[in-house]
Amino acid sequence: MATFSGYLRSSSDEQLVALLGRRPDLASPSPGNLTSLAVRATGRGSLERALAGVDAVVLQVLEAVVVLDGATRAQVAQAVAGGHDPEVARALDDALTLALLFVDDATPDDERSGDKQSGDTQSGDTQSGDTQHGEGRGDGLLRAAPGLVEVLGAHPAGLATDVPSHAPAASTSRTNAPTSRTSRPTIDRGSTRSRTPDPTSSPTSSPTSAAAAGADQSLPPGLAAALETVLAGEDESSLAGRAILDALTWGPPVGLAPAVGTSAGDAVLRLVEQGLLVRGQGRHVLLPGAVALVLRGGRTHRGVATIPDLDTGSVRPAATVTAESAGAGERCARLVARLARRWEAQPPGVLRAGGLAVRELKRVAAELEVDDAQAAFVVELAGAAGLVGPDEGEPPVFVPTTELDPWLALDLPARWVALARAWLTTTRTPWLVGSRDEKGTVRAALDPELRRPWAPRLRRSVLGAFADAPAGSAPDVDDVLALLTWATPRSVPPRAAVAAVLAEAGWLGILGAGALSEAGRAVLADDVDGATTRFAAGLPPEVDDLLLQGDLTGIVPGRPGATLEALLDVATVVESRGGALTVRFTPDSVRAALDEGRTADELLAELGAFARGPVPQPLDYLVRDAARRHGRLRAGTASSYLRADDPALLAGLADDPRLASLGLLQLAPTVLAAQAPTREVVETLREHGLAPVAETPDGLVLHLERPVRRARRRHRRTEPGAPPSELAALVRRLRTGAASTAPTPSPVPSSGSVSSSDTASSSGSASSSGTALAPGRRGTADPAEALALLREAAADRTQVWVELVGPTGQHERRLLRPLRVEGGRLRAADALRESELSVAVHRIATVTRADDEKEDV
Amino acid sequence: MSGPLIVQSDKTLLLEVDHDQADACRRAIAPFAELERAPEHVHTYRLTPLGLWNARAAGHDAEQVVDVLLEYSRYPVPHALLVDVAEIMARYGRLQLVQDPVHGLVLHALDPAVLAEVMRSKRTAGLLGARLDATDVVVHASERGHLKQVLLKLGWPAEDLAGYVDGEAHPIALEQDGWAMRPYQQHAVDGFWHGGSGVVVLPCGAGKTIVGAAAMAKSSTTTLILVTNTVSARQWRDELVRRTSLTEDEIGEYSGARKEIRPVTIATYQVLTTRRNGSYTHLELLDARDWGLVVYDEVHLLPAPIFRMTADLQARRRLGLTATLVREDGREDEVFSLIGPKRFDAPWKDIEAQGYIAPAECVEVRLTLPDAERMTYATAEPEEKYRLAATAAGKNRVVEQLVAQHDGEPTLVIGQYLDQLHELAEHLGADLITGETTVRERQRLYDAFRTGEISRLVVSKVANFSIDLPEASVAIQVSGSFGSRQEEAQRLGRIMRPKASGRTAHFYTVVARDTVDQEFAAHRQRFLAEQGYAYTILDAEDLPTP
Repeated sequence: MATFSGYLRSSSDEQLVALLGRRPDLASPSPGNLTSLAVRATGRGSLERALAGVDAVVLQVLEAVVVLDGATRAQVAQAVAGGHDPEVARALDDALTLALLFVDDATPDDERSGDKQSGDTQSGDTQSGDTQHGEGRGDGLLRAAPGLVEVLGAHPAGLATDVPSHAPAASTSRTNAPTSRTSRPTIDRGSTRSRTPDPTSSPTSSPTSAAAAGADQSLPPGLAAALETVLAGEDESSLAGRAILDALTWGPPVGLAPAVGTSAGDAVLRLVEQGLLVRGQGRHVLLPGAVALVLRGGRTHRGVATIPDLDTGSVRPAATVTAESAGAGERCARLVARLARRWEAQPPGVLRAGGLAVRELKRVAAELEVDDAQAAFVVELAGAAGLVGPDEGEPPVFVPTTELDPWLALDLPARWVALARAWLTTTRTPWLVGSRDEKGTVRAALDPELRRPWAPRLRRSVLGAFADAPAGSAPDVDDVLALLTWATPRSVPPRAAVAAVLAEAGWLGILGAGALSEAGRAVLADDVDGATTRFAAGLPPEVDDLLLQGDLTGIVPGRPGATLEALLDVATVVESRGGALTVRFTPDSVRAALDEGRTADELLAELGAFARGPVPQPLDYLVRDAARRHGRLRAGTASSYLRADDPALLAGLADDPRLASLGLLQLAPTVLAAQAPTREVVETLREHGLAPVAETPDGLVLHLERPVRRARRRHRRTEPGAPPSELAALVRRLRTGAASTAPTPSPVPSSGSVSSSDTASSSGSASSSGTALAPGRRGTADPAEALALLREAAADRTQVWVELVGPTGQHERRLLRPLRVEGGRLRAADALRESELSVAVHRIATVTRADDEKEDV
Repeated sequence: MSGPLIVQSDKTLLLEVDHDQADACRRAIAPFAELERAPEHVHTYRLTPLGLWNARAAGHDAEQVVDVLLEYSRYPVPHALLVDVAEIMARYGRLQLVQDPVHGLVLHALDPAVLAEVMRSKRTAGLLGARLDATDVVVHASERGHLKQVLLKLGWPAEDLAGYVDGEAHPIALEQDGWAMRPYQQHAVDGFWHGGSGVVVLPCGAGKTIVGAAAMAKSSTTTLILVTNTVSARQWRDELVRRTSLTEDEIGEYSGARKEIRPVTIATYQVLTTRRNGSYTHLELLDARDWGLVVYDEVHLLPAPIFRMTADLQARRRLGLTATLVREDGREDEVFSLIGPKRFDAPWKDIEAQGYIAPAECVEVRLTLPDAERMTYATAEPEEKYRLAATAAGKNRVVEQLVAQHDGEPTLVIGQYLDQLHELAEHLGADLITGETTVRERQRLYDAFRTGEISRLVVSKVANFSIDLPEASVAIQVSGSFGSRQEEAQRLGRIMRPKASGRTAHFYTVVARDTVDQEFAAHRQRFLAEQGYAYTILDAEDLPTP
């Protein structure tokens, strides 16, 4: 029988390249040779990873091979599909490429000859399927890669293969492979039956009847007879037994036995007595795999798992998809820009854990007029694209990064592509924002904890489902989930995550009206230029046409150009967006435009330039009226003021050069503002012969008193002066030196916790017990260095402290003179015990030169 | 460029009126979209559940709506909106009100789950009787209107298939001698009759009374007409005598002054809502005859108690007439469920363009208050501010200037505050009509105004509605009920009857600048601005001095 590594060795280079390509974990770090490749490929982790990526049909053929304990391609096709099936052939090729199966060429031909008969009744296309893989190697016996059985779980294909089927009379079945060769003839019976993979028309929909005919052929005679009795019997107990077998036939093979005394319970008891059921743990009973296989008519599966059809839903018109994708993308880019602008003005603080406070997220949601989930998405998207992030400040705040300005300078399609690519590749999981972690704390947006390495894979696989479907199809979450369940049955993502990815793709415009947009398809294919052009193509035409109306509204019948948009952005309130933009002019919005430094005439001229006709009179009046009111109140900075009822008193003060230091400014005939504080003003004026007094806000005279400075009383810290007696004790300890070398705990935990006192006593050395706790300070724990040190010592005939790990894990320190180091063993003389010893080098924990140790002591 | 319509994702439809297909598109979307704004370039329609259900009630289905949107839209229509339209429209008619030969009025569900949901709601408690089976439940006959109203609120509007009682027949015919129904009036009557019951929205002066008369002729049954006040009642009577075969003897007035019940009875809202000892004393009127038709004039003013009282008139045909379905109390829904959906609507400007109402020029005159008044205003209590601003002394002079400018033209000065009106009347040497003026005196003054004997009249809010003064061509409002949009519309309506001379009507609003008066004015103008009446704003200083 050929081995797995043998198979790999005999594989062609192309096959190995394909294998390493499909299972990248085998290639890095690069394995030393094919044997170690084989070892790695059969490791549990690698197998799990490979299985996570296979589709349902591949899983089916793997289960079939495991259940049948090795089978030819035809047998697998028979067991899974009831005959030749291109999908099975494809799956087998796939499994071979992945080295989850291998071809056992060494199986003697005669052993297979019987099996080959099964193919005889089938036409030549079985043969063609067989020869698809490799150079004619496909017709060998297929075996599962070592370790695969364990990884596939207890009941592959819902068959309890690990349960022996104890025939009351004879038990010939093997424990770990109950479906021994002797049972295989049952498979052949399937060849004459319908080979359609459709489970509904499968003969096994009524397994008991299907198996009845051949029960005697495939099981140990005793069992077969028992089965026949149950299946053929018309009495009540047989009917009950049959019902139980029917329930367990297609798995799971484990059932909970009903209470004894009920008819079902009695039936179970009888079946157990007959050996058709086996007792499991507790009240559980199992249907042995061999029996189930007979009941299934020799099939391991009802049929080939069919790929869910995403084409069933309604197809969205391409124009709708493109337009909605562009609309959503435009909106998304706008929201990100607005978020950045908001944080530019009011940067929010970074939480201690690194995220954004919930309150700020709510504010962002309110300002962007979106719900919390979308706000979190926008924030995370801006973060993923590197447009916002925490600064270095103390305390840190979230601010736009230096990436923002280059991004803003791009045109809309390029901005969108940047966002879309950032989203596709980010490991962030925005949909988790607002949920609670294991400790019950709410997960914050931009929290560093929200990274999940699988997130990009999830996005690709979810969107991959769309990419494979016909253009315009808009599958919902359940459709996508069904497809993913087929594509990767061993790693189906949670429904919530899939739903979140769909929602996010919709917000971003990768999906439009629920279908993948052309621009989205290009982003998936990493085609930046294609994505940019396709996104641009979907945008409504840019119009610089503004319809101004008498009711103070304006409409841009399309997408406004950049200049027009900027103008409307500041001067109006947006009423609705979509194919067109509707805005309303209000006194406040016009004021905002004036605040930016425009005059009424400039604003009207700008509007007039875009307007299709004259600016309506009401709007003209509104703008002029706003301008008239604009700036009627003036505000400025002053530290204090001077007022007097008599204007003559103030006249001239503002221009007096001697008072220039006060920064006086005449606001009104009776009021001056001063840049200097009240006290300084009062004092300076007094120096110049005037008699001002200070006043309170309500006009009362305030007597300014000189502020008298007082230093704050410092709390004097008393020096921790040690009493002389203690100092003397310290000196004594220093003199003796013992104190400084007092036993200190070792960093090596094992030696610090030397549990057995016999370690020290067995070493017979007081000094060793004292210093054993600090080994390796001058020595080495590094095995390579340790060996070098030992060889050196052997050459120099010097002694070294060697710390040995005993058989129970305790450490022991001995002073040894190494004699030689060879064959992984150290031979050394122990002067203290006057003996020689030989230890394996891997038991040496540390080696320390004895002379180093002496300096220590 | 193709398609005149832009469909926004917030369910507004923008119709570019200068587009070649604009008219066809307007006709196509009118059945299901509510006209929200009709300014000069782009009209805004909105898709609302109510509007979509109206369309269902009128026999349109979701597919037609979607087809229309797709046909006229310039850009791809948001998919979610199309799905929404279909879903909303599918909710209509899952419940039906049917007449069962055995059990009487029955609520029948095409979808038992909907019935279960509705029956579990607290709001339907007491409206529904015994459950007959999974899909049927008895409805108390008197609660037909109330139930429809509740079902609408629950989002499952019922299709009323229970039909109408014919009422007592009474021959009524239109006598079109020397005048003819206008095309839009005919459309309105047809729309109403086809739908069974409902509301016709026409601008003031567009001949709503004739629509009422034509509907009565079509029905040819005894008719109850509910109007806002006695003067209006008499105008209805005169109009009916003039336009139909009805004689004075066949028409009764049921008001504070008289209690006549005749084949056609005109009652005021006020008398119906009069209470004595906590009970409505004139409810008997509603059952006095087997009315075949009930006409609600100025349905937007229908007082809440009348809603309740007339809820059990559901078995009779109901016609609502109004110029503005805008209710300041937001009870448009109740109008819909108790009287019926909107059956006809047309932008005012369209009817103006056809020459059936006078073209009107709206001007807001802004008056800068003198410093003393500004100071008083600035320091006034908030609740006093509007009164102070609205009655600013400077307005008298502005009114004088305006009146002088239109010397000889029949002019109405309309205001809210009696002191101000007294002062103005004195100032202008004009007669004054307020709530205190007797009906006889009012009639005399209106007649004198109509005949041209007097050309100026100062009126309080009593003249807001249903006063037919065909020749009035200038209206100057000096103060109003805060920001009431429909009052503004009604006041403009006073001068919109087409003039014999074909001249333009002028509508002035005098407003004190930088005060709440100006803010309220802006709000008041919104309805008319949305109907396409652009206001010109003038400074009082720019008015020509007399």
